[in-house]
Amino acid sequence: MKNEILRFDNVTLTYHTKRGETTAAEKLTFSVREGEFVAIIGPSGCGKTTLLSLAAGLLTPSTGTVTRRGSCGYMLQKDELFPWRTIEKNIYLPLEIGHKNTPERRAEAVELAEKYGLSDFLQSYPPQLSGGMRQRAALIRTLAAEPDILLLDEPFSALDYQTRLNVCDDVSSIIRSEEKTALLITHDISEAISLADRVIVLTKRPARVAFEHELDFGEENRPIKRREMRQFSAWFEILWKELNV
Amino acid sequence: MKHEFSKEHRQYLAKKKRDLALVWALRIGILVLLLGLWEMAADLGWVDPFLTSSPSRIGKTIASLYADGSLFYHIGVTLLETLIGFVIAVALGCIIALLLWWSETLKRVLEPYIVVLNALPKIALGPLIIIWFGTGSEAIVFMTVLVGIIVATLHMLGAFMATDSNKILLLRSMGASKLQILLKLVIPSSLPAFISMLKVNVGMAWIGSIMGEYIVSRAGLGYLIVYGGQVFKLDLVMSATCILCVLAAGMYALVVLLEKLIVKNAES
Repeated sequence: MKNEILRFDNVTLTYHTKRGETTAAEKLTFSVREGEFVAIIGPSGCGKTTLLSLAAGLLTPSTGTVTRRGSCGYMLQKDELFPWRTIEKNIYLPLEIGHKNTPERRAEAVELAEKYGLSDFLQSYPPQLSGGMRQRAALIRTLAAEPDILLLDEPFSALDYQTRLNVCDDVSSIIRSEEKTALLITHDISEAISLADRVIVLTKRPARVAFEHELDFGEENRPIKRREMRQFSAWFEILWKELNV
Repeated sequence: MKHEFSKEHRQYLAKKKRDLALVWALRIGILVLLLGLWEMAADLGWVDPFLTSSPSRIGKTIASLYADGSLFYHIGVTLLETLIGFVIAVALGCIIALLLWWSETLKRVLEPYIVVLNALPKIALGPLIIIWFGTGSEAIVFMTVLVGIIVATLHMLGAFMATDSNKILLLRSMGASKLQILLKLVIPSSLPAFISMLKVNVGMAWIGSIMGEYIVSRAGLGYLIVYGGQVFKLDLVMSATCILCVLAAGMYALVVLLEKLIVKNAES
């Protein structure tokens, strides 16, 4: 299919440890199209993080292929901002690593930060920011590298409930307005429904694709609004059942 | 920025200040009291000053050392040995720790050797050191390095290995090389551990240099202590020990100052 940014083709991954071998993923096939927001949910311990590592190219599948067009940006559960760097310097980090630390790219990164309300915090250190602000800074850092696809590994799970809803809205609106492609991995059904265009349900370990749904929220992609919509609870029920097969 | 504090806050600050003043008054008071008791006990013949010395005799001894020009000579010798040994131990310790962090295989291969070297009482190597390095300052510097280097290595390796694995994952997802991970993450995040290692190693360096001077020396504070003990000049032993206390405290204070400078720099 055209416009595919990421494609998993019959991907199987087997871990080897002293005690034996574990198959983390088995014959996994799915793809993410350009501009799409895909959420993957699965029972805990189904190897979700393994999947993102495969997508990021940090792991090589035992069999099958992972094809990715372009670069990826990884966002983790915690913000993982470096406490000895200012927010500004944290945002430059991917540029430094990728040897793209030019004045133009730095200016673009700062512009992005200012656009999303971080201007007052650029010279602050991470511990001086609230959890929500830090996660926003982490997202800007990820975006500064101009990745073709964002890989989100339960990026809200370390936040308290109130902050979580806000940051979820925040991140969603930034990703949508920057027209980024995103792959979210979570165990939180409501988060998946409120954010994604498409939801993929995985089975227990070894992870396989159990179900796949195109969500029907139309043009509405604000998480808070989606949570109020009629379809929301219907989807919740469906996915809940599918997760607990 | 200038703040107008509330009355309560001003009272709070004043109380903090008073508390600090009290602590310092007590600290100094204890010192004066102990010295006074010591002096009194010696003067009134409660103890034999030939065995216990006394503050005034220590003062006189130091003054006479100063008068014949040997005070700063001995201090200089020991201080130089200690500092050189300290710097070499810290530098080599950091380099070895970096190599061990870099190569998992090297770390696993060398682990038992390091454990044994760590457990070995370095003074056991005394005779070997004399034969290898002679009786000059080299031998003492070598002993100082020996005492400090393993501690420095283990301390820094521990810090390097404790680097947050999620942050490493983050950098790897950005395509970072091992060298970039080292420079951007592992070294900066180990800075606090480096400072605490310096603090530990100040003590280690003094142990090393004085121990070295006990085994073999012709000058230095350790030499004065051993010599004083042999000829039963306990005034000399006590004097050299007091000077050591001051020097060790001074060196520790320098490390604390360095810590403040670095922390300040990191935040500006």
